[in-house]
Amino acid sequence: MTTMQTVLLPVGADLYAVPIGWIREVLAAPAITRLVTAPAVLLGLMNLRGEIVPLLDTAALLGVGTVGTGSFAAVMHTSHGPAALAVSGLPQRAELGSPTGPSELPGTAGTYRLDKRVAVLLDLAVLLTPERIGGHELHSVGVSVEVS
Amino acid sequence: MVGLNVDQVRILFSQEATVRLAQLGQLLLQLEQIGSDETLIRSIFREIHTLKGSAAVAGLAEVSECAHDLEELVEDLRTGRRSAAPDVIDTLLAGADRLAALIASHWREGETSATGDPLQRTAQSSRVNVEHPARTRHRARVGHELLSGDPTHRGDAEPAKRPGPAARMLPAAAVALAPSDSATAAGGVIMVPTARLEELTRMVGESASAHLRIGKMLKDRFGVDPGSCPEFNELSRSLNDLQDRATRTQMVPVATVTDQLQRGVRDLSRAQGKEVRWETRGVDTEMDRGVLHQLADSLLHLVRNAVDHGIEPVAERLAAGKPAHATIRLHAMQLGSEVIIAISDDGRGIDTVGISRRAARHGIDSEGFSEEDLLGLIFSPGLSTTDFVTDVSGRGIGLDVVRTNVEAARGRVEVRSEHGAGTEFRIIVPITLAVLRCLLVEAGGQRFALPFHRVVLSKADDPAMRAHAEGRPVLLVDNQPVPVTTLTQTLGTGSAEPVVGPIVVLADTSRRHAFQVDRLVGQRDVVLKTLSRLLPHLPAVAGASVEPDGSVLLVLDPPGLIHRARQAGRGAAVAPAQRPDGPRGRILVVDDALTVRELQRSILERAGFLVRVASDGSQAMSKLAEEPSDLVLTDIEMPTMDGFALTAAIRAHPSLANIPVLILSSRSSEADRRRGLDVGADGYIIKSGFDEASLLTAVNRLLGASA
Repeated sequence: MTTMQTVLLPVGADLYAVPIGWIREVLAAPAITRLVTAPAVLLGLMNLRGEIVPLLDTAALLGVGTVGTGSFAAVMHTSHGPAALAVSGLPQRAELGSPTGPSELPGTAGTYRLDKRVAVLLDLAVLLTPERIGGHELHSVGVSVEVS
Repeated sequence: MVGLNVDQVRILFSQEATVRLAQLGQLLLQLEQIGSDETLIRSIFREIHTLKGSAAVAGLAEVSECAHDLEELVEDLRTGRRSAAPDVIDTLLAGADRLAALIASHWREGETSATGDPLQRTAQSSRVNVEHPARTRHRARVGHELLSGDPTHRGDAEPAKRPGPAARMLPAAAVALAPSDSATAAGGVIMVPTARLEELTRMVGESASAHLRIGKMLKDRFGVDPGSCPEFNELSRSLNDLQDRATRTQMVPVATVTDQLQRGVRDLSRAQGKEVRWETRGVDTEMDRGVLHQLADSLLHLVRNAVDHGIEPVAERLAAGKPAHATIRLHAMQLGSEVIIAISDDGRGIDTVGISRRAARHGIDSEGFSEEDLLGLIFSPGLSTTDFVTDVSGRGIGLDVVRTNVEAARGRVEVRSEHGAGTEFRIIVPITLAVLRCLLVEAGGQRFALPFHRVVLSKADDPAMRAHAEGRPVLLVDNQPVPVTTLTQTLGTGSAEPVVGPIVVLADTSRRHAFQVDRLVGQRDVVLKTLSRLLPHLPAVAGASVEPDGSVLLVLDPPGLIHRARQAGRGAAVAPAQRPDGPRGRILVVDDALTVRELQRSILERAGFLVRVASDGSQAMSKLAEEPSDLVLTDIEMPTMDGFALTAAIRAHPSLANIPVLILSSRSSEADRRRGLDVGADGYIIKSGFDEASLLTAVNRLLGASA
């Protein structure tokens, strides 16, 4: 059986897995500067030893609500430079076996059983792209306000 | 001694050749200007000779032979058999270009095989017999061949003596001459990849941040004032110097591009039969390599434009009482944190009457325009490309593109012209894009940097200078109405207050806009970093910087900010009587429609609010019982308990009664609005017309009122 070394990212009640090769480091409660005018999926910018790294809302990126700034940030290597995913619990290593089934959310690549838990494998090559992140930008409509 | 393989040798040669060819081009242009000069010719000969030898060592036969042909020609100059006439300079310059092209093409192809080397094959059929008795005829042909760039059409060929080692591995001693000689010629210059320099600058910045953190730790943990610690202060000074030096590693003199410009002037003036003298001043002025690179095409365009349109034909100049030789000058100078590059000519100047006429053809009414305004029209897209610029450079760009490029480098371009006397274009850019002089402001609890070159003025808000025009508040600046908005509103950061703070007026190329901020923090240099390429383009954000305390500072882009403020609409303009101390708060969004609920949530969270959601009035009351909110945003039509009932319940609850309620409903009748207000709602927004700005305006106003 082929196995895959991954890091598990707790996001609310969900558990997501990313292949370990993507992970650069994990930070606890990083200080964030809000990036004004950015899409909601972008929680802000953090200073990673002089490098300015965007922090993304993992849940919002997947379209399953929001995790907020989270307790931890998992910094990923991407072809566009480093990017961090906000997660709500401490990421941990895990070995995944064969998938137990497909997953439905775009940007995911199957579900895996881990004892009594289910981990959904993230397809970061799909998820961490400018198109995906920029696609969360809101488009405003006409203006008409009445406030008493 | 460790040997170098052929590839390594060729890398070294490529580096050496870059320096030598630049030097050669410069010397040839000097030769043309000052005429035959023994020392100069000797220098030219030496450059070509060294290139020939190094190319041979690198096994680049064709490069070596091309250099050999040029060397023969220069030998003729040295011995007086020929003079440095323009056609000879033409040949030599074309030869230098040919050398560069050969080296570049070889580098691209990555040829290394000795047996299958196309250069070798070409060399065997293209070697020129330099000892041919019909020397004059031969030279003429060499010139033609070099200009045509076709080495296979050379005559008088003899079999190539394949220069360079046959073996793939070379002893280092055999090639040691190339780099060391190059280094000597370039004044000890070595080539370093720019990425490495950028990394160095970043690491120096990190060291400075770490140093500040150590200072904080000394104070917090050991009660030691770092300022009283000589070792700490010494390290501070060293790090400051290091940071300054690291920034300077990315600076280059303007002279880096002037040879290319001179060549552009020379080639075009010769092609058009004009006599043009090229002069430079202040070309040792240093500026950021990236900025200069961004400007190179625009500068070339301006000088070629000067030759093509500014400089009159000789007969016309003489008839006008001008010297036959026209002059194009490039004058570079540093002024504070900016570099000014002025390109002037003594040609015919710009005919503003003609501009006015052409503008009218393009539907622009220029009546009442000042001379300056009329000159400014040459940067208009339609006018510049069709009427004022001939595409002599083959780049198909007009002066509008010049202006766009200059503005992309955070600079501006100005033009002054006197009819019959000449024209001067001035490009004014920051010395570096890495370090930007900024005005620091605070708005909505966040600090922002505004590039100083876009700041028109900053001052305390004066109600006497306020007015209202075209449905929006304006500020009178130089007796002109300038739209005014709070910065937080423009950025959608959720707070329309305070409105008693100072005003900063920003300008782009054509508009001014006033932004009200919480306070002015000061001005200083900011080391600008671009944002991750993963992020979408954010027009209002120029980049970010790491502050000494480790926090991230956003640098705003004034043109994008002004555009955003204009787009936000007149209705979102600031009201002058709001309170400055309202905190960003907790909002409960109540709506049974998931899409609307999530849209509202994302808008509000992006604006910095803490948002909870409920799908109907009943669930909302439960959530409020668990934890109160600072504002409730509710729909009307919902299952279990509708918005009217929810509002009434909130008003009836002793501990919740003061929570502002904002109704957002698709019901647009006056009766529904009245009913909502009657049951205690503080505001009523119609869904069909709601957007981010209007929602935030309403929320901010209600939270401001409740604070």
